[in-house]
Amino acid sequence: MADWGELDEALRDYQMTCNSNERLRKMQRDWSKILHFNCEDNGVKFTMDVDHGEIVSYREGHVGTPDIIVTTNSETFCDMFWGDLNPVQKYLRGEIKVKGSQEDVMRLDAISYVIWPD
Amino acid sequence: MAELTDSGNSAHLRRSLSLTGATMTSTGLAFAVIDYIAVVSILAYTVGVSAWLAVLIAGFLVLIVSGLFSELNGLYPTAAGIRLYMTSAMGERKAMITTFTYLTSVVLVIAADAFLIGSAIQHVLGGPSVAAYAWIVLLLALAVGGNLLGVRMAGTVQTIVTSIVLVSTFVISIVAIATTHGSYSYPLGLFHKGIFHGVQALIFAVFLYAAFEWVTTAAEEVHKPAVITRALFIAPAILFVVAGVFSVALAHAVSRTAMHGSAYPQLLLGKAALGEVGMIWMLGATMVAAMNTFNGGFLVASRFIYAAAREGILPRVFARLNVKAVPWVAVLALGISSGVIAAAVFATRQWLLLVAVGSVLEAGIYAVAGYCVVRLRSRESDRVRPFTLKFGRSLGVFAMVVFGILTVIGAFSDPRHPSHLSLLPFLVVAVLAVLSTVYVVVFMPRVKAKAAARVAASRPRRRPPRVTGIAGAEED
Repeated sequence: MADWGELDEALRDYQMTCNSNERLRKMQRDWSKILHFNCEDNGVKFTMDVDHGEIVSYREGHVGTPDIIVTTNSETFCDMFWGDLNPVQKYLRGEIKVKGSQEDVMRLDAISYVIWPD
Repeated sequence: MAELTDSGNSAHLRRSLSLTGATMTSTGLAFAVIDYIAVVSILAYTVGVSAWLAVLIAGFLVLIVSGLFSELNGLYPTAAGIRLYMTSAMGERKAMITTFTYLTSVVLVIAADAFLIGSAIQHVLGGPSVAAYAWIVLLLALAVGGNLLGVRMAGTVQTIVTSIVLVSTFVISIVAIATTHGSYSYPLGLFHKGIFHGVQALIFAVFLYAAFEWVTTAAEEVHKPAVITRALFIAPAILFVVAGVFSVALAHAVSRTAMHGSAYPQLLLGKAALGEVGMIWMLGATMVAAMNTFNGGFLVASRFIYAAAREGILPRVFARLNVKAVPWVAVLALGISSGVIAAAVFATRQWLLLVAVGSVLEAGIYAVAGYCVVRLRSRESDRVRPFTLKFGRSLGVFAMVVFGILTVIGAFSDPRHPSHLSLLPFLVVAVLAVLSTVYVVVFMPRVKAKAAARVAASRPRRRPPRVTGIAGAEED
């Protein structure tokens, strides 16, 4: 089980990797969303704010009205943000649950695919 | 950018699919241009205006299917639901074979609609028959181009577009019934040509509802699964009213000889109802319907292919994204496949065969849905079911038997030659099933192994090891 400290470290790396990827920024330039994340194992919740493809902030707790809600366990979130697992495989096994439009779900996965092609 | 304020535990999305949106999505996915041809196929096996009865009975059968998909959607409320419940019920390999075969029906419908709209435009504008194929290529190119540029119909536009098609078809049908002279013979004579022909008519009537269940892929866009459930029950009712009235009007106002040789019976009905104006009106409705099919079909199929490639069960090339985050190889492959199939239909004039193949695939998938419900009632009896179908086991078995029979009979029914059985639909479905099986059994394990090897060789784990309370010790 990962606590907020570990998640914070993973999210910091994820934010930096995403924001420094030119191709991703270009691809997501029309994508501005608020994402809510729920860790179902330890109850940790956090929010990510994406503005025109840039992850402008993330913070503990739920803030604002979400466009996408992602739920899984804290370990999966950590591995996902570090790029150590393929989120699609977890999603297709029902281990990651997402609420949001199909387009947004696809865009969310596209981020991982572009920054970590393998 | 809006300032963020703490909202506590937000459970609702900023935008979610309403009941109206879900219902119109379901109806729009089902009501394609090929449905006009499906009505002609029903009429091939019935007398007088009795086709409406086939549409009604098929509608009742489809309501059972609505219940089955509602239960399955409640169990797995995700766009990947179909994969998940099939895998749970029958194992990964069989689930993949079924899913890939099922997916071909989307390509068939896109190809059919491209062919039918091309033929309709050529009929209205005139010119050599080859011009129809030029229209087909142009329309598919536009659909592919629009998709690659990330152009998508917003939910409200989709609702409006679907409403235009349905209302146009309904109004033209009512006008045709009111203004033309024709008979209303055998209104209840569905089985007048014999029980077997009546059952054959039912198979093609089931096709009128085909793909309505794809609305379950929007399960993540609604507040609660009940929205999808309600949409699944309302959409068949709307489809029955429109298709039923259209079948009566067509049988009443257009001669059987004219409609059976035509790829655009809706234009003939429009002309019978309001002359040239009616024909142009129905051409417009046809184009709008095709737009809906292209939008939904390309989106659903290309995203499925993308996800399969990302999962490592289709070659990696299909996951390539363009600068608009569109899986461009998947979209291009769908466009080319549809163009090739449309060309084959154009060359052979076998558009009714597409209806037969689509009907078989759809009835087959409904039988599979029945099997999944029955199987999961045993295998996953403890899971919470937001929707539990009353008499679910019995209705699941009933669906397996009824749709199983319809699948088998449909496989040997070609509306072009209604008086005798045909091997053609069976052969086409068999080829599709064999191709899917060969891919899943022979090629998929290789693709999976390749993907696993690529991941293993790619790079070391990035996540830092966790430091435990004991100094210097690290967890795995």
